[in-house]
Amino acid sequence: MAKSFDVVIVGAGPAGSIAALKLARAGRSVVMVERGKSPGAKNMFGGLLHNTQVLNELIPDFHERAPLERHVYKKSLAFLTAESAVSLTFENENFDKPPHNGHTVFRPAFDNWLANEAVKSGALLLCECTAEDVIKEDGRIGGVTVKSREGEVRGKIVIAADGILSFIAEKAGLRQDFKTGNMGLGIKLLLGLPEATINERFGLVRDQAADVSFLGATGAMRGGGFLYTQRETVAIGLVVHLDSLKESGRTPYDTLNAFLEHPSLKRLIKGGTPLEYSAHLVPEGGYKAMPRLYTDGLMLAGDAAGLCYTNGINLEGINLAMTSGALAADTAIEALDANDFSARRLARYKKRLDRSFVIKDMKTFRNAAGMMSTDRLYTTYPRIFSAIMEKMGRTGGAPRSKLLRLIRKEAMKEAGLKNLIADGYKIGRALL
Amino acid sequence: MNIENLTQLTQFLVDDRAHIIVNQEICKTCDSRACVKMCLANCYTFNEETRLLSVVYETCLECGTCYVMCDKGAIDWNYPRGGFGVNYRLT
Repeated sequence: MAKSFDVVIVGAGPAGSIAALKLARAGRSVVMVERGKSPGAKNMFGGLLHNTQVLNELIPDFHERAPLERHVYKKSLAFLTAESAVSLTFENENFDKPPHNGHTVFRPAFDNWLANEAVKSGALLLCECTAEDVIKEDGRIGGVTVKSREGEVRGKIVIAADGILSFIAEKAGLRQDFKTGNMGLGIKLLLGLPEATINERFGLVRDQAADVSFLGATGAMRGGGFLYTQRETVAIGLVVHLDSLKESGRTPYDTLNAFLEHPSLKRLIKGGTPLEYSAHLVPEGGYKAMPRLYTDGLMLAGDAAGLCYTNGINLEGINLAMTSGALAADTAIEALDANDFSARRLARYKKRLDRSFVIKDMKTFRNAAGMMSTDRLYTTYPRIFSAIMEKMGRTGGAPRSKLLRLIRKEAMKEAGLKNLIADGYKIGRALL
Repeated sequence: MNIENLTQLTQFLVDDRAHIIVNQEICKTCDSRACVKMCLANCYTFNEETRLLSVVYETCLECGTCYVMCDKGAIDWNYPRGGFGVNYRLT
């Protein structure tokens, strides 16, 4: 196998497939090198395909054709202590109308479908090919070597969309060592339940999905829990900060099991049949942890480019990935027209990203990663919320105090003034 | 629920070639053994008597946690050869 293409894309995930689709439609020869048996076989996420403009534009009828599960209708944020839960739920009839704000999907199904859309447009898909190293020639990246079906795949431009542990980015010298401080570990268990049971337990009808985020789900560890409903399954799991996991000395699956045993969760998933267990790293360092995005002959897209952020409310990655794939393709088309594959030319990719919501949002929440590393967010604050709710609701003869006094008292007792000010500053800088 | 059951839920296409190789000399002297604790699939076991670290790469979920976590640089971790390794169906 020694072929040459206009563009070689490493990884047929959402970023790679969108790039391939755009390039193929523009009549360029493009190949996707995918290490899974089929696209999506190696991919895992929490569960939500966000509403993404480039997907809507490229495949306007994807709602009808893609293997989607349910559309998001109900969004909740829950603060957990060992024995309580305080939650805020938002549901809106507008979420029931297209364009939906997001769909739950299974990655092995969705990624496979998306990659095949690119194939239908003329892209070549090579599965069971693990890209191992970059080929350097004339001072630029000119392809990748592949193990399994040993060989080389050459191209004028390489787009590395090979995920968070992008060895291609590393070998091209675009990124430093992978750091625990910039990564989260996602663990997920998929449980099968009858459709009617899911609808009943979560208060849903038809294709409506629930999206629940949990804070305080991980004991003393920094991280959060998530729950998404598909048609006949519930995906439930955790994302924990790697550095915090290491410090805690706890095992990830003990933490997951403890989460599943929480009283408010237990009844939601009762009787569920375990179907699949999966894990993946998540780039959580935000804007400050991004690698360099391009060099001569190479661009990074999706998780490989560190395009993912969380601010406690939003958790976005797949939409940033697809958008970056589209912008990398636009840049590649322009570079092919100009027959110039230099870093200087490919710098336009970064400019395009900067102008898009991708980098704008990453920049807006550039301090969120720092905020999310505040330990108290995961232990003290859920306790404060729980104590306030309990005192507000409990009857039995003890005289009540007015709300502000109650809040102040509980917050001072649990956190202390100094911490409250420090955390308020951090949260304010990150979100307000 | 225990971990044996959890990894049994997941499908693996096992290669005869290991994609994780540890440096026993370094692992012998390691006292943190983060890999043993942090592996989600219980791939690592340390035998106190022989002071050897054994790796069951066959049920590796390929998350890379051990690789990122090991601060001794003792884990030579790669993606499995194409087509092998974890094969998710429903995640």
